[in-house]
Amino acid sequence: MQLDFKTRELTVKLVYYGPALSGKTTNLQAIHRLVESDVAGRLMTLETRDDRTLFFDLLPLTFEAGSKLQVRFKLFTVPGQVIHNATRRLVLQGADGTAFIADSQLSETKANQQAFLDMQENLRENGIDPASHPLVIQFNKRDLPNVRSAEELERLAKRGKEPVFTAIATRGTGVMETFLGLAELTWRRLDATHQLGEKFDLDADIFLQEVRERLVGGRAAE
Amino acid sequence: MTADGAHNDAQPEEPVATADGTVRPSAAVSSPPAIGESSGIDIALADLQGLEEVVDREALRDICHSFFDLFNLSVRVFGADGTLLADAHEDAEIHAYLRTVPSARVALAKDVDAVQRLVPRKEEARHTEITGAVYDVVPLVYQGRPVGRFVVGPYLPAEMREVPAALLALGDLDRERVRDLLTAMPRVREPTAKRIRAHLRRVVDLLLFASHRAHLTSEMHVASVRASYRELAEKTAKLQSAYDRLRELDRLKSNFLATVSHELRTPLTSIIGYSEMLETGIAGELNAEQKDFVATIHGKGDQLLQLISSLLDLSKLEQGVMTLHRERVDPGELLAEVAKTMVPAAHRKSIVLETHREEGLPLVDADPVRLRQVLFNLAENAVKFTPEGGSVRFRAETTELEPEGGDTLGAVLMAAPERAIALSIEDTGIGMPPTELARIFDAFYQVDSSSTREHGGTGLGLSIVKRLIDAHGGSVRVESEPGAGTRFTVLLPETGSDIGVGGT
Repeated sequence: MQLDFKTRELTVKLVYYGPALSGKTTNLQAIHRLVESDVAGRLMTLETRDDRTLFFDLLPLTFEAGSKLQVRFKLFTVPGQVIHNATRRLVLQGADGTAFIADSQLSETKANQQAFLDMQENLRENGIDPASHPLVIQFNKRDLPNVRSAEELERLAKRGKEPVFTAIATRGTGVMETFLGLAELTWRRLDATHQLGEKFDLDADIFLQEVRERLVGGRAAE
Repeated sequence: MTADGAHNDAQPEEPVATADGTVRPSAAVSSPPAIGESSGIDIALADLQGLEEVVDREALRDICHSFFDLFNLSVRVFGADGTLLADAHEDAEIHAYLRTVPSARVALAKDVDAVQRLVPRKEEARHTEITGAVYDVVPLVYQGRPVGRFVVGPYLPAEMREVPAALLALGDLDRERVRDLLTAMPRVREPTAKRIRAHLRRVVDLLLFASHRAHLTSEMHVASVRASYRELAEKTAKLQSAYDRLRELDRLKSNFLATVSHELRTPLTSIIGYSEMLETGIAGELNAEQKDFVATIHGKGDQLLQLISSLLDLSKLEQGVMTLHRERVDPGELLAEVAKTMVPAAHRKSIVLETHREEGLPLVDADPVRLRQVLFNLAENAVKFTPEGGSVRFRAETTELEPEGGDTLGAVLMAAPERAIALSIEDTGIGMPPTELARIFDAFYQVDSSSTREHGGTGLGLSIVKRLIDAHGGSVRVESEPGAGTRFTVLLPETGSDIGVGGT
């Protein structure tokens, strides 16, 4: 997070993490498509090879909240392929919140687990405690066959503390919910540690309502 | 966060809170521990503070000139810090004229100053100068943050018809001339001006986006390489320390072996000595059974001594403290001698021994005791592993050594064959599978550990053979076929060719 009192500018870094080909870039592309055009900047893709991310994708979302607080969300993806671990760690640097994009296919269970462990390790390497780090989990590709059933996901989700979302990123389904869920957790966490609400006279619920309205223009985020 | 002069002058410096909870003066831009600290660009947030940080000025100038050529409008681009980054303009004649009039000159200077002070953050701003011409100041916002501005103008709004009263009020002016010169100024209709500004804004934004991406890419390249390098360096250090530890352990093992062997040998010498004396009857006549027992003690003592000597040899060779007493040796003679000593053992198993010596073999520079030890060991093995009725052949001949490796670079120089003496011992024994051949020279290794029990031996012989021949600057080769037999060949460099390696 970066906070500038002079220009009343708040920059929040959110990272989309997950195994290779789980749909991190697709999430960003969907958000880019779904949010109001004055909010989303250009989606920047840094180096790809064969359509796979090598460094990161970056989507900036900017809007004004409350009494003229300039909010800048910067959404990053990490490269999912195992060999790019050094890059993943670099991208996680200074992350305020993380969305873990899991592949719902049963065959990807191990890859999800491995990437999740890898994420925790890389957070720690960056001096971030995974236990208190704002985190949401998205089960993407719900439209594919051979995925864990919704009932089972729900049952498993209850055992963890992080919010779990389901999505079909290619169609934009569940993408905004995931983002808003992460934005909420992150704001509450930053508010608790930096008293943002107090400093900018901004109630958390009102702020989140504003985020919702500014991003999707009052449309229901379905 | 911006540091543009005009905009910040009046404002007190306020602190900036960073993610790690520290508060720094806003002049120092907050950032998490930077990896790409070499540049001003923040990789963690992929942010930039101003146009000037990344934009290609050459390209920006080209764009401005092309803009000027197309619309005949002056344009200037400023960075967030107020630096003029690109400028394409032509002085209007009216300005040249007005500067010759003192009162007008003062008014114009005020206008220029006012335009420079105009630093809008979000919305476009406009300044109308004394002539009625306007300057449009357009803020450049990138990722929600003002990063600079461009100024279009001065131009006359097409809608303006009259010479402004304020200009005429200055006095000392040639009104006709002013009117003429004003007509020569570029005129633009407001809707057109708006589209032109929007166009330029988009073009500059695209250029900025492309430049930013290129910068981030190169920063990430460097940072990734650094991170990978650091990881590899850590791994290498770990491996190195593990390797050092293993080497130290190996050294300790050799020391231990040497000490223990030495300590074992001392009392053993007494055991052998006294049993020998008993055997000869020095301490009184022994009956047949007693003699038999003492002979067994003597025999087993000798066997044990041999084993301990082997261990001692091995540890000396491993520590590199074995001294070779080199002299001119006839290798064929030595081999024949060894073959002769094998006759009784071979006879017991009805094994045929054949010896072949090439005429006129050159002498070699070797330690005769050690070379004999090597050949004896190989001969003993050959007889040991050859079944009854088989044969063992001894050959001494000259041969040419082809350098190893398939590299033909400079072959005429590098692959020149070397002459060497080959001493080979070939049996018709049990042989060895090819997978085992590479390992038989390792200490304590036997093809099948059960063979130790069946055939005796310690598994030390071949490792000592190899190390001794290495110490002579030679090499040992082995060819084998399971069930058909094995041939060991000791290759010794001809005297004068390569003797520098030995002597250890």
